[in-house]
Amino acid sequence: MPNIRYANMCHWKSIPYRQIDNFRDFYYEDKTNSAYYSDWDTVLKYQSALGFDGIEIAPWDLADILPLFGSPENFAAFAKDRGVEVIGMFHGAHASQAVDHFDEVVKSGREAVDTIVKFGGEYMNTCPTNNYYGSGPLTRDDVQQCAKVMNEIGRYATDNGVKIGLHNEFFCAINLPNHREFIELTDPKLVHYCIDTAQVAIMGEDLLTFYNDYHDRISTFHLKDTASARQPDSVRYAQDPEIADDGTRWFWEPGLGELDLKGLYRLLKQHQFKGWMSVEYDGSPDMLASMALTRYHLDTELRPIYD
Amino acid sequence: MNLDAFAISLDLINRHYQEPNRNRYEGKYFWEELYPLISASGFRSIEIPYEPVWQFGGRSGVPMNRYCINTKYETAANYREVLSAGGIYRVAGVTFDPNLFMRNDNLGFYFGATGHFANEALAHAADLGAEYFAISPSPYYGRVAHYHPNLEAEAESFTERVTELLQGLAAKAEASGVRLVLRNEFWSLFRGERIFQLLDTLPDSVKLDVDTANLTIAGISLSDFIVAHSNRIGCVHLTDTSFEDTAETWRSPNPEFPDNRATQVFRDPGTGSIDLPQVISLLDGLGYQGPMTCSARQTRDPFRALLRIRALLNTLQN
Repeated sequence: MPNIRYANMCHWKSIPYRQIDNFRDFYYEDKTNSAYYSDWDTVLKYQSALGFDGIEIAPWDLADILPLFGSPENFAAFAKDRGVEVIGMFHGAHASQAVDHFDEVVKSGREAVDTIVKFGGEYMNTCPTNNYYGSGPLTRDDVQQCAKVMNEIGRYATDNGVKIGLHNEFFCAINLPNHREFIELTDPKLVHYCIDTAQVAIMGEDLLTFYNDYHDRISTFHLKDTASARQPDSVRYAQDPEIADDGTRWFWEPGLGELDLKGLYRLLKQHQFKGWMSVEYDGSPDMLASMALTRYHLDTELRPIYD
Repeated sequence: MNLDAFAISLDLINRHYQEPNRNRYEGKYFWEELYPLISASGFRSIEIPYEPVWQFGGRSGVPMNRYCINTKYETAANYREVLSAGGIYRVAGVTFDPNLFMRNDNLGFYFGATGHFANEALAHAADLGAEYFAISPSPYYGRVAHYHPNLEAEAESFTERVTELLQGLAAKAEASGVRLVLRNEFWSLFRGERIFQLLDTLPDSVKLDVDTANLTIAGISLSDFIVAHSNRIGCVHLTDTSFEDTAETWRSPNPEFPDNRATQVFRDPGTGSIDLPQVISLLDGLGYQGPMTCSARQTRDPFRALLRIRALLNTLQN
């Protein structure tokens, strides 16, 4: 068993079919590639064929997945039949800094944990609160309140066999000035950290220094590259910066950006990281191509360093 | 009939389902390049599907709700200027469907969110100078049934709440000079003739949307329906299909994607089985002069669809 197993964070847009049994007829209707991206059977086969044995569900997909499969358990079984296990689900702890929102945000977090348990997952990577725009700058009390929420959700998650991993976006209200303060305020026994390699770099953390400093808190990774490290406040604090108006991509496949991912893998080896690494392709125009490129880069550049 | 006044719905752009290059549809640059291309294909007016979902994920480059327009253009007026610069001189209508909010067993949430965003969409339609606001009165039947297994037993109270919501919208639509029309999708709780359960309780100002593919899939004779209700038609959607619902797909949670057999339910206009020229001729003969909107929902290639529709319209006499 390798030390690192690879999953995909689910950035497929809605997949409308479970399985297409009339694939050839469907293709011939308009002779386009839609048939190749329209059912979970095919998509999961792509993952499995390329060695991504896990999938991290996106919460915004639940409204489609649950009616399509009937239950989280059914989806998990369907994926497992194709060699893919559900490792967890992303979650957003919206407005966690608001004291009067405490009960609601904790309830939402607990419900997400319950859903992950039904999927058979173990990880809930969690964005700590809203975007900076509209919420920031946060006061020290706000940051403490966010940490209080995470500890509360983390306690419930831990009791249910799920690891909550803080996942900071570069545009989150928790941002460079309070990122580390926030982490320190959370209970390391209950709250872990998911390093999104590109997001923390764009936010302004040095990826290798950050991992070195917090390696014992890291539960999992979102692995992706960027060519846009250390963006200024004017970008990070702007309204809706994730999708750039001119089509600029923040995120690239490993090896197509500028991050020192080989350095990261040397540190993974040094600290003997064991666990899942979710590759993310947000911003990619072609998920299948990105998946294949990533697999090539992993096998030729990164896994030879630490596997 | 004035073919030059026909609108094209922006629903020809696939915003939600996986396909290569779909991600570009979330960027402002894509849409601003699209408008001149629409104009180049001979359309001067558009229909906008109002989609609240884009305001929740920070994806405000998709110009399909008030939040997105205000984020990128500050005002609806500024957005209309951008459209005009691209050769689009009119927003013919705005559509709204409430499927996004049928996501749990809480009907209070569903009606609260639907009411809030439908009212916002209507106000946005007025700001854009739209002629009509076309609302789908129910989510997918099968999606409601998934979260509310006792749907049939609760149908009466559900209908009462829908009616109440629509009555409020009707008053606001009349006050704002926008025509409220009820969509009539094949997957609706109020499909086919059932739409009159609602329409008959609403003011005369509320009209019917004739959607050619949806009515056909629901088993309704297009010509009979149009003739019988010609004085109540407020909007026409020219849609096409070759789909025959032989397995009660309309009752399924995702009816636009039949689970027993994959197929493209909505075909590009002119490539399905519906005789659209005959429908246009019939409406013309009845003196219909209201909005006509072409829709290539589910197209596999929006740019080919634009030209396919233009090729179809070019075969007709103006």
